Amino acid sequence: MSTSEEISTLLVTKFGTDPEAIRPDVPLHRLRLDSLALEELRLHIEDRLDVDLEDVALTSRDTVGRLVEAVQGKVTA
Amino acid sequence: MSAAAAAPYRRTPLAPFAAAVTGVGLVTSAGTGTAAAWHGVTEGLAPSAAPRPELDGLPCDFFYSVTDCDPGAVLGVATQRLMDRFAQLAVIAAREAVADAGLDPAVWDSGRVGVVIGSAHGGLSFYDEQAAALAARGPRRVSPKLAPLSVVNGAASSVSLDLGVHGPSQAVSTACSSGTVAIGTAHQMLRSGACDIVITGGAESTCTRLLIASACSLKAVSTRREDPAAACRPFDTHRDGFVVGEGAGLLVLEHPDHARARGATVRAHVNGYGASSDAHSAVAPDPEGLGIERALRTALADAGLSPDDVGHVNAHGTSTLSNDLIEATMLRRVLGDSPLVTSTKAMTGHTLGAAGGIETALTVLALQHQLVPPTVNLDAPDPQIPIEVVAKEARAASFDCAVKTSLGFGGHNAALVLTRP
Repeated sequence: MSTSEEISTLLVTKFGTDPEAIRPDVPLHRLRLDSLALEELRLHIEDRLDVDLEDVALTSRDTVGRLVEAVQGKVTA
Repeated sequence: MSAAAAAPYRRTPLAPFAAAVTGVGLVTSAGTGTAAAWHGVTEGLAPSAAPRPELDGLPCDFFYSVTDCDPGAVLGVATQRLMDRFAQLAVIAAREAVADAGLDPAVWDSGRVGVVIGSAHGGLSFYDEQAAALAARGPRRVSPKLAPLSVVNGAASSVSLDLGVHGPSQAVSTACSSGTVAIGTAHQMLRSGACDIVITGGAESTCTRLLIASACSLKAVSTRREDPAAACRPFDTHRDGFVVGEGAGLLVLEHPDHARARGATVRAHVNGYGASSDAHSAVAPDPEGLGIERALRTALADAGLSPDDVGHVNAHGTSTLSNDLIEATMLRRVLGDSPLVTSTKAMTGHTLGAAGGIETALTVLALQHQLVPPTVNLDAPDPQIPIEVVAKEARAASFDCAVKTSLGFGGHNAALVLTRP
């Protein structure tokens, strides 16, 4: 499963996000990911993909695509 | 200037105030939904009391669980993830109560609606889970949701979020009397004019190894592992402690003028509330029951009613040796021997901060149906218990006034007086 698919799966199963709404250009706040949810998502991604996202700076204004890109950078690091 | 003798202070009593109960919502181990819970309680159906794996090896390894309700399925993942289980049960009960009251949150005057929900431990389940994560995996694996999910006001805030309530919302935490104190507080809020509608009661879910281990150390819980469904036996000679349960019991309590203006069906009235503190012990009730007597007499006076008016009592009745004897002796002293008394904890377990909410809701239904639920496991009545406890089977009776009593660790006593409309 690709990083993008892994993140989509987490959004659907852990946050109840509509899979149709998950597109690269959509800001995270449009998916109802506030600062609390973003930190929770960070923990889920770290557990699922065995990466450390501690120094990745993300806000709810960032897009799904930016999130995937940031995680991919850590996966391949 | 001559010093005139000061007149002794006399408090001016408030005029009695009959808050209308227009909605009821219940999630209990006896059933989820008001109809199912009432059926389970009045038929004396055995609760789900199977041993729980998280309690393995403890002297008490059972718990009265809610098994006919899946909060995830009812609420959806997006809503459920922001609540500890006690708040999830509260939201489910609140939705039922509001629908039962015929209220539509899309059109109500949301600033005039309040929420007051009691809980003893709040989000203890999530707290316990995160403490285990900290110990096993270190600080970076602790969820950022710990604070919002574990706080005692989690049920009140979740209900206000879910229903779009913009008036005052708050938690009440007075241990096992929390639900009763919450309803009393709601009564006062309506009387003062702060709100037109208050969603109120109690919610609790504490099936954690931590809490039950502590209750075992305290020798407060039953260890009847050979027959857990019959372990909670209030007023019985062979009672040996309470059984912890989970659930939520909420009322829609409404200003009578507001209820009348919209033509609401009134199930019952909450007429009086009294509370007191024992100032005696961290865990034991006052040995003479003087604190709960003060709360009960205050509630009766607040309602403008007398002990002779009371036909039914839903007692605290925890199934501990001391509570049941002290409470029953107090009830006999204050109310005489005529009221029909029950403890529905035999079916619901002791839901701690939710107990007052669940049991007041059941008292509303008892008034409405003119039926006293049984104390189902009362096989051998304790000869020292000087009151008439309805045992084994529900009993039809005619009564216009009922009382709910609650006692909490720390000496928090509370009583409510309810009447038929």
